[in-house]
Amino acid sequence: MGEFQVHRVRFFAYVPAGIRCVAHSTRSARLALARTNGALEVYNFAANYFQEKGIPGHETRSTEALCWAAGDRLFGAGLGGDISEYDLEKLRVKYSLDGFGGPIWSMAADPSGTELAVGCEDGSVKLFQVLPDKIQFERSLDRQKGRVMSLSWHPSGTRIAVGSIDLLRVFDVKSGHAIQRILVDRRLRGLYSCECVVWSVAFLSNGTIVSSDSVGKVQFWDSEKGTLLETHPVSSSAVLCLAVSEEEDSIVVGTSEGAVYQFQLLPVKWGSAESKWVRTKPFQHHTHDVRAVAHSATALISGGLDAQLVIRPLMEKMHGKGYDAALRKFTFPHRRLVSCAKKAGLLLFQFPQHLELWRLGATNSAGKDGDILPVSRAPEHLLQLKSKGPEHICCSCISLCGSWIAYSTASRLHLHRVHWENGSVSLKRVSKVPKLLSSAHQLLCSADSTSLFVASDQGAVHVLKLLEPGSCGHLQTLRPNSGSAEAVYLLAASADGDWLAAASGDWEINIYSLRQFKPHCTVPAYNCAVTALAIHPVTNNLVITHSDQQVFEFSIPDREYTTWSRKVQQHGLHKGWLERDTPITHIAFNPKQPAHILLHDTHMFCVLDKSLPLPDDATPLMNQTTLKQLSEKARRGYAHAFKICKKYQPLLFVDLLEEGSLVVVERPLMDIKTQLPPPVQQKKFGT
Amino acid sequence: MAMTRGRRAMLEKEAAAPEPPAGAAATSEEDEEAPEEVTFERARAAAETERRRAGDTARRDRELLKEKRRQREELFKEQKKRKLLPENVLEELTSGAQINNNNLSDTTKQGENRNESENKNEERHTGQDNRRNKRVVRFKGNYMAVCLKDQDLTSQHQKMAKDFVQSHLYGPGTNRTTANQFFSFVNKKSPLKKAAVQFVNKYWGSEEKQKAKQFKKHWMSTKKKKNKKLR
Repeated sequence: MGEFQVHRVRFFAYVPAGIRCVAHSTRSARLALARTNGALEVYNFAANYFQEKGIPGHETRSTEALCWAAGDRLFGAGLGGDISEYDLEKLRVKYSLDGFGGPIWSMAADPSGTELAVGCEDGSVKLFQVLPDKIQFERSLDRQKGRVMSLSWHPSGTRIAVGSIDLLRVFDVKSGHAIQRILVDRRLRGLYSCECVVWSVAFLSNGTIVSSDSVGKVQFWDSEKGTLLETHPVSSSAVLCLAVSEEEDSIVVGTSEGAVYQFQLLPVKWGSAESKWVRTKPFQHHTHDVRAVAHSATALISGGLDAQLVIRPLMEKMHGKGYDAALRKFTFPHRRLVSCAKKAGLLLFQFPQHLELWRLGATNSAGKDGDILPVSRAPEHLLQLKSKGPEHICCSCISLCGSWIAYSTASRLHLHRVHWENGSVSLKRVSKVPKLLSSAHQLLCSADSTSLFVASDQGAVHVLKLLEPGSCGHLQTLRPNSGSAEAVYLLAASADGDWLAAASGDWEINIYSLRQFKPHCTVPAYNCAVTALAIHPVTNNLVITHSDQQVFEFSIPDREYTTWSRKVQQHGLHKGWLERDTPITHIAFNPKQPAHILLHDTHMFCVLDKSLPLPDDATPLMNQTTLKQLSEKARRGYAHAFKICKKYQPLLFVDLLEEGSLVVVERPLMDIKTQLPPPVQQKKFGT
Repeated sequence: MAMTRGRRAMLEKEAAAPEPPAGAAATSEEDEEAPEEVTFERARAAAETERRRAGDTARRDRELLKEKRRQREELFKEQKKRKLLPENVLEELTSGAQINNNNLSDTTKQGENRNESENKNEERHTGQDNRRNKRVVRFKGNYMAVCLKDQDLTSQHQKMAKDFVQSHLYGPGTNRTTANQFFSFVNKKSPLKKAAVQFVNKYWGSEEKQKAKQFKKHWMSTKKKKNKKLR
């Protein structure tokens, strides 16, 4: 492994927003997830749980409910009182429609996916028809007193169960009348009873209603007679969410204490026809409230206010102990939040509403391997750039020399020129940024800081020319030959300024020639999401990593995979490498060692040495510590191409500076957890 | 003030004082003198002039009143014009509304002669129709005209809803603890005792630290200067 001087950066005070609601679509094997700041993310389970799409948040938008309807269309509703449809190709809100019932607490699509029912603050349940390109108000069910906190359709589509405060109601969809009213018991606190919020309901096909409430009970009701069938006290605090599997034999609930429980419908005796709901498995993966759960065919999915998405596969549905049966936890976005000015030694951190510019610290002492060097110049917070308006920042970048900063919100692109005058920094906004018709999804500055690449809708990339005293102009728009409909989300430019590679949402990688502003070629299609792209500064080879951990090297001048890449495919990657669960989010190169590729994901950082042999499954993948104990000669015999370092965790960004030192941006999980809202106190025995 | 009151009182006295003797005199004189002879012609002429004069004064009054009214009306118009936005803005607004809602166009066409209250009514009406579909009109500059009233209402509802969630999740009786206590529980039973998770809040005394840093810098520079002088 090469030796580097490492800047270990821990001053990126990033706190991810909590997860408010999730919606799983079995048809497309995707999970939509809304965060408390209004941001939306879509995870593709088929592509190894990669975060495929992201729509930035908005200050006034807070999504309370998400649902998939009419195929793969995604709808969301929130406390703003709007129902909106998301455009997953252009990554924005397609349209929104006022529900006219005040804030919306819940939304569900009917089993056929043609109608949406929304539950509003004013106590009404409204039905909206899903039309091919819009939704239309159809009618409103009888308005009742009390806000509608949750609702669920009967699988036949004729009844709706509604959870309100202190009670449950059943509506007949055809007539619109409430046909059943069930009171839920309150909790006694001292002499007073406090109201009981029915946080979630589910309507099963046999007419049973399952409710979870703020008292901490999961209850089963007979909807015909309005009687209580079963009560399961689950928690001393609230049970916030509930989801039922498609076969209706398993229920997952999430509580305020961060625990997730599974209920299963099991026969009372071996072989008897009578069956009963039994609380079977508790899981404690979250520290804070679990506000969203979903039940896929093989896994329990839970999202909490601690910003963690946990996918817990059910072992009885798995065939053996394998790669699919592993627990997945996602805390950090699969997107780049940090950009680095390699020449100037600056880091730009992206927060939802502002950017921070830091100068890296320096040392004037030297040491040997493993030493911690004293910092002679402390890292300096140079700038804080606040974005105006309620929209959140979706992408940002800094040029390599540190003289340009660009960021984009959903509606506008902002460009700033940074002036450096003997130690002081001044910022000048470029006033006339060309108005692009669509929003930017990714930004990248060219290596010589003369042009800015703006990734846009329909596979297009706009090229802006950066002019010196602080202005810019639109130069060209690059469009793929194939006419892709999806937005570009990854960009990579070559160091000599000749080539640009762009990956769009349909996993197509287009390579453009920047000399002629023409498409050069496309990389052969591979059926997995692209997680990172980079062009080698010396050889102009494009290195691509996919969410199934495959690494490809594609020679741009020759328009084909390189021999090394073919060799890797023939030999196959190491099993340990293929079983890694977080995607590689950034690729960097070492100009002094052209054979090295620097890769990183959340838990490790790897130097891939192309000159060394690839490891077999028999040899251990992580052998750096054992190699260190061997002598120089013996080391050569055991060394293989993957040199993995797990010293720095969790990693948000790794890059190599111009002078050869490495920047590592860490964000310890405990630092995030202490910034979160207060958790529920839990009594631990013996403390 | 006192003087004017005094004067008014005097005037009242003056007005009141001469009356009783004059009245008394008139009655006594009328009693004594015979009625003056007036010819029928003269009496008719006098009556006619009297009537004409009365008619004239009435007409004049009416005209004056009319004039007054007209002036007031003009003033109102002027005021209304001043209150309304410039013509082109209004035009754009109404055209925007037409696109949004066809049946509204009839009412907006009458825009010229509607009065203040009508105006308000209509605004409310449109607001209900497309409350979130706020009428946004783009101008040449960087300005946007947005109907604020309805937005306030929704944001208020939103705030109330958020407060409800907040009180139910974090309000009294929810048994919340601090992050520090929550994560430091592990320490209690573990054989290896560590510091608390948030041992020191980094933000405490940040001002004092800043001051101390600056003072140190200042002190160092002064010391350097002194040293130079000594040399």
